[in-house]
This record gives sequence, structure tokens and C-alpha cells, in this order.
Amino acid sequence: MQNKDNFDRFSSQNTLTASAEPPRPESEDAKPAAAEAADPGQKPISEPWKGVRRLACFFGIVVVLIFVMNAMITSGLRRLRTSAFGASNQIMEGKVNAQIVISGSSRALAHYDPRRIEAITGRTAFNLGRNGAQTDMQVAFLKAYLAHNRKPEIVVHNLDAFTFVTTREVFDPVEYTPYLYDRDLYSALGNINPNIWKSRYLPLYGYVVEDMNFTWVLGLKGFWGWTPPEDYFLGFNPRSKKWTDDFERMKANNPNGVHFDIEPAGIRVVEDLIQVCRQKGIQLILVYSPEYIEMQSLTSNRAQVFGLFHELADRSDVPLWDYSDWKYAGDQDLFQNSQHLNAAGAAIFSDDVANRLKVYLAARSNSARDLPVSSPATLGHAQD
Amino acid sequence: MLFNSLEFAIFFPVVTAIFFLLSQRWRVHWLLAASCIFYMAFIPAYILILLVTILIDYFAGIYLERVEDSKQKKALLWVSILSTCTVLFIFKYFGFFTGSFVGLADLLGWHLSRPMIAIILPIGLSFHTFQSLSYVVEVYRGNQKAERNFIVYATYVMFFPQLVAGPIERPQNLLHQFREWHPFDSVRVTSGLKRMAWGFFKKLVVADRLALYVNDVYASPRNFNGLQLTLATVFFAYQIYCDFSGYTDIALGAAEVLGFHLMENFRTPYYSLSMSEFWKRWHISLSTWFRDYVYIPLGGNRVSKNRHILNLMITFTVSGLWHGANWTYVLWGFLNGLYLVAGWLTKDWRDRFYNAVGLNENTLLRKTIMLLTTFVLTCVAWILFRARSAADALYVFTHLATGWNVHQIATQQFFLRQFPVAIAALLVLEIGQLCNTVISIPSLVGKMPVMARWALYASFVMTVVMFGVYKQMQFIYFQF
Repeated sequence: MQNKDNFDRFSSQNTLTASAEPPRPESEDAKPAAAEAADPGQKPISEPWKGVRRLACFFGIVVVLIFVMNAMITSGLRRLRTSAFGASNQIMEGKVNAQIVISGSSRALAHYDPRRIEAITGRTAFNLGRNGAQTDMQVAFLKAYLAHNRKPEIVVHNLDAFTFVTTREVFDPVEYTPYLYDRDLYSALGNINPNIWKSRYLPLYGYVVEDMNFTWVLGLKGFWGWTPPEDYFLGFNPRSKKWTDDFERMKANNPNGVHFDIEPAGIRVVEDLIQVCRQKGIQLILVYSPEYIEMQSLTSNRAQVFGLFHELADRSDVPLWDYSDWKYAGDQDLFQNSQHLNAAGAAIFSDDVANRLKVYLAARSNSARDLPVSSPATLGHAQD
Repeated sequence: MLFNSLEFAIFFPVVTAIFFLLSQRWRVHWLLAASCIFYMAFIPAYILILLVTILIDYFAGIYLERVEDSKQKKALLWVSILSTCTVLFIFKYFGFFTGSFVGLADLLGWHLSRPMIAIILPIGLSFHTFQSLSYVVEVYRGNQKAERNFIVYATYVMFFPQLVAGPIERPQNLLHQFREWHPFDSVRVTSGLKRMAWGFFKKLVVADRLALYVNDVYASPRNFNGLQLTLATVFFAYQIYCDFSGYTDIALGAAEVLGFHLMENFRTPYYSLSMSEFWKRWHISLSTWFRDYVYIPLGGNRVSKNRHILNLMITFTVSGLWHGANWTYVLWGFLNGLYLVAGWLTKDWRDRFYNAVGLNENTLLRKTIMLLTTFVLTCVAWILFRARSAADALYVFTHLATGWNVHQIATQQFFLRQFPVAIAALLVLEIGQLCNTVISIPSLVGKMPVMARWALYASFVMTVVMFGVYKQMQFIYFQF
């Protein structure tokens, strides 16, 4: 380290940079503060309290704007009659009242077409499936449905290999933000994310902090009467894509297969679902809808998961319809990826399950007893 | 505590209100307490590390002033520097150096086991270490009187607006301000708030949105095509600028609200016409720190040509290492050193070339070429800075121009609908900065009628609120 003399000697001319370029005007950087402070157009306010009042007034206006904006967005989203929010609004306003209700994850959402089910069974149907929802969120949403609508005759609950895994993070939380007044929904979300109170009580928090997809724009458009194109049909959201490379990438990323945890809390959620349906006198049917055949061998603890499905179903005397050996489970043309059927696959599967429901309902009304668990092929396509 | 958090939105008004209500005697105590709360919001126990650094340099400053003998003084300075740097070394570089040593030993056939110590880097450690070091060096040089009041000295190191990411202040600029009376001046306060708002725009609307794209691509560059790699690299250039200069704007604005003046850290660095100019405009407080405490003591440019080149390379390589304990940062620093050396060595040749083709110094075309060249060189260096490993950086370098596919541009987190917002945000940024070079926008707005001005301010605040990304992403420079 040089001493002071050295420093003085060098500091007059030395620069860290090597070239000897002439200095350029240095007024560019955004420096609104200093410039504003020196602005002759603005009179300094000598009295501090006057300044505080002005600041308070300005921030008061901003807060009011935030509240108004929040109210407009919430109101706009609740006014929508089409798409995902349209389906949710029908549910939360108690306008569904279907006889057959399908609950579950994105697999339920994309696999069960209520229009086909209605046509075949002669009963009204609605799909409550939610993208990215684990069983705890699915059950919370079902409870919200039951709180606002007439109880259905049958709840078809779609199972997944990850059924016993509880939610770590709510997927697309903005889908629930306009409905946080619902006690069951709010408490279920609160169990997963203790910060959910912010979305309920802090204006705009649920729309701008928790959401990256500008859903608030949809809300504002809805407020002014705009309606998004319909892509939810009685709650069913078909997937138009053909087979993607998702599965190949998943395989490459998981050369040793995948393992789905069986969490005690996850088991309790399924037991809760069974209990809720029993208490309300609703017939519950557990269905494992088709997955791409190759995926089955990649799930390392599949036997264990299915063992538990059977155990829970047997213990509670709930029918379990397992479509693992669905006749088209190896046909990539009917799938978007290993977990989701595309629209063509969903049409075939919906017919299968509807036919099976029809037989089940007929048998139930005739003899008031369950059908034995059997292969879907025998009950599905055998009757086509 | 992050500036972009709900906690800070409550913390700052409360701290400011109490600050102005207190008498001068208690204000500095209050600022210290507030700074402790601010720092302890990250990992509370780490305040003890900061305390060690503060104690070392506080007493070093006092003894440096007392000691008359120059040899003893120098020895004391080195003890202080080494003690402070040891803290930095343990927490920041221990893993890096032991890992590199084990790697080197492996190459030589000696199989050593890597020490299993996992230490979380205290946030902003490099910043307050450097600020502390500048204090002892300035006291040693006689440019600054040793601070006897421990509370004032601790507040100088811990002042919350600049605690975790600078600007790295000099004692001559900041220390005396803690003894001065800062009355509530609404013009100054609103000016500070406006600067904070601009900083939040840069951070929340520009940097954090671009980060969604950059993070996706740089997490696994092999999954993306050349267009995506190029876009991610350009986006990163803007991300890091808006992230860091946005932080600086918030820091300077917050300090201004309280009545303190901190040094400028950025002057639109991407408008530079050479790498040399870039480093006069980027992270100015760090560049000048290295200039004053590394480059000049090494001899600066008042030495032989070869030694000058060596001085530049050493300074920039050390600067790279300061940024992070990873070889990519070292290479980044080295590359920037090379840029400067090459720029210096080829300057005459380039001037002759431009003049030969009729592009004298003031022609727009020449300036445009120089500006774009500087930006491209900066982006190339940023690849090293952002990549997770040297192998990833090499992959990005070699695939920037391959497999461009305009139909495959989005990423998992950054959907197509995000592009218009990101591009619009960049346009607002650039137009704002460009206009500010011609006329002071705040001054222009200040002349508008109150209603129009307030409407404009409120719209700007609402724009930040509605278009910001609030994933509580840390400021990039916090890690340093």
C-alpha cells in the first residue's frame, strides 16, 4: 500500500481505465431526485406539516385507487360466464346443481366430458377438475361446491398416482382469489399457505403479487363486459394438443423412474373425502382414469399406491374403477402426455365411463347395491 | 429485509416518521437500531459477524491516529486489513479456495478430501467489508479523522439504505452526515420518494420480469435454441443493470428522504462508447474503490507499458473475484481486463481506421458502431457472469448463433404474453433515460399543474404496482 504522498501524486491523473478518451457529458442517468430538488418551478414548502399533509393526501389517493382497482377486478372476474372463471362462478353462485359431479386434478378436468356423460346417462353432470390441484385442494373445492349447490347423486373422484401427496404450493392461486370469502376454500388454502390472508385482505395482493399471468387484465375486461372465448364445457377443458415431447423429457430426467410419496396427511384427505360424501348421502366412486401405459412401469411405487387405493375403497365400501389397463392406454394419438388424454382420447374415455355409470346407476336403482369391481374394458367398450 | 417486500413497505415509513420526530441526539441511535432490524431480517445471528468487522476497524482507526511511527502505523493498517479480510475470506472464499486446491491436487494425483463446511454467505458482506476497509485506509492516509463515537461509526458501516449492496461509501462523504441536522424538507422528501419509485420500476417491472426468462434459460441452456440464448443474454444485461441501479435508486432515494446524500453508482452505462467508459459509468463506487485502493497503489498507469497492463489485469481479476467465489466471476473480471488492455493497445489503430473511412469522432454512425460494439462486448462478458459454470458459459458462447427458431421463443415461466410487457418496460426505461439526457424529466413534470402532476405520479405508481413482479427475488448484488 502506498503512503499518502504516493496517493496524492497518482490520484490527480490516474484512472482505472486505460484509454485517454475525452470525458463525455454526464447528465444522462436517471437522476430525477437531484434535478427535481433544484427545480425552480416547484416552491419549497417551509412548513413540515403542510408537506406531510400533501404526502398523506397523495398516498391516500393511491390507496383509494388500489382499492377501486381491486374491486373492479374482483367484480369483473365474478361476472365472467365463460372459461375457467365462468365455470368457477357458476359453482360459487350455486347455479350448477348437477346430479353427477366429477372432481379431481387436471386429469379430471381434461378427461371427463360432462356433455357426453349427460347424453349417455340422462343425468346432469359437471366437471370440478382443477389444474395443478392436489387432493387436499380438490376436496376443498368439492366442499365449496357442496356448500353452494344442491348435493349431487354421485361424485366421481378421479385418482392420480400423486393422490397421497399434499399441496406444497397452490398452483395458480389467482383462480381462487375472487372466492376467498368461502370459508372452506379459505381455510383449505390457509392450511397450505398461511399467507393467504394477504390475498384476502390486502387489495390487489392476490392479483398482482400471487399471479404472473395478468389475470387482472381479464378482470378489468370482464368489468367492462368483455367475455373470453369459451373453452370450458360444463367445467370440462379439453386439450387439443397432440402427443408432445413432455414424456420423453420426463423419462430422460428420471432414468430411475419416479416415486410418489404416500403421506399420512394425504391419506387423511382421501378419508375425509369419503367421510364427507357418506355424511351427505352422496355415492362416491373412485376412478383411476387412463394414463399412458409406459408411465406405469416408470412409477416405482405404483403397486403400493394402488394397494392403498384398494384398501381405502374396500374399507369404505366405495367402488374403485381402475382404468390402468384401458384398451387405448398405449395409443399416443389419444394422449397429450403420459398423464393427460387429448380431446380425442377424452371423448372415448368419457363415453366409456358414462356407459359404466349408466349401468351402475341402473343397477343401483334396481337393486340398491354396488357392482363388483371389474375391468373397465368389460363394462366400457364391451357395451359400445 | 428486501426493499421489494411488504416488510420494507411498513419499515421505511415507520423509521422515517420516528427519525424526524426524534431530537438530533437520538437520531443516529435510531438509525443504528433500524439498520440492525433491517439486517437481522435476513439471518439474525450474522449481525455478530458485522459487529466483529465494525469493532476491528473502529479500534484500528483510533490506534492508527494515535501511533506516530510510520512502520508501526503501516503494521497496524495491515493487521486491520488482514483481520477484516479474514472474515470475508472465511465466509466467502474458504469453500472456493479449498475446492480449487483439492481440484488441483486431484490433477496432480494427490487425492485429498474436500472439507465439509457449508457456510451461508452473510448478505452484503463484501460491501460493508469494503466500506470498512476504505475507512481505515483513509484514516491511515490522514484524509479522515478517526471516529471516536462508536454509535456513529457503526451507523456509518450499517446505514440501512446502503448496507447490503452499496454504494460503497467513503468516510469523507458519509460520516460527517450523521452529525448533521436533517430537517424535514418536503421538497427533498418527495424528491427521494420519486427516486425510489423509479428504482422500484427498474427492479419490479423490468429486472424481475426479465429474470423470469433469464432464469429459465440459464438454468439449463442446453434445452434452448440460439435465439433464446441470445435473448436471455441481452435480457440479462438489462436485468442486472435494472436490478442493481434500481436498488441504488431506492437506496439513494431512501437516504435522501432521511436527508442523507449518497454517491451516484451508475450513469447509463450502456450508453458508453468504449469499455473504458463503461467502467466509469458502471458500479462507480466499486470501480473507484479498486482504483484508489488497488490500482493506484500497484502503480496505476505511471509505470512501464507491461506493468500497466499487469496492473489492469490484476485489478480486474480481483474485481471479478470480489463479485463471487467462482471461476466464472474470475474469468469475467479477467475478460474485462482484456477488453481494456485491447482497447488501449488498439485505440490509435481504430482511430486511424475510422478517419480513413470518413467517420470522424463526432459522426453519429461512428458513435453508434462504438456503442453497439461496447454493448455486445459487455453482453459477451455477462455470459460468464450469469452462467452457472464455465461449461455452461462455453455452451452459450458456442450456440448463440445456432438453431434460431422464432416459433419457439417462450419459456416455462415466461409465456408469450409476457413479451409485450417486457418490451414495453424496456422502451419506457430507454425513452426515459434518453429524454433525460436532453431535458430533465422531473424538472419538466415539476412545471406541470398540480392535478396533472399528481395524476402522472399516481399513474406511475399504479403502473409499478400492476406490472411489477413480486416474487421477492433478491437483488443480484446482495450475494456479493
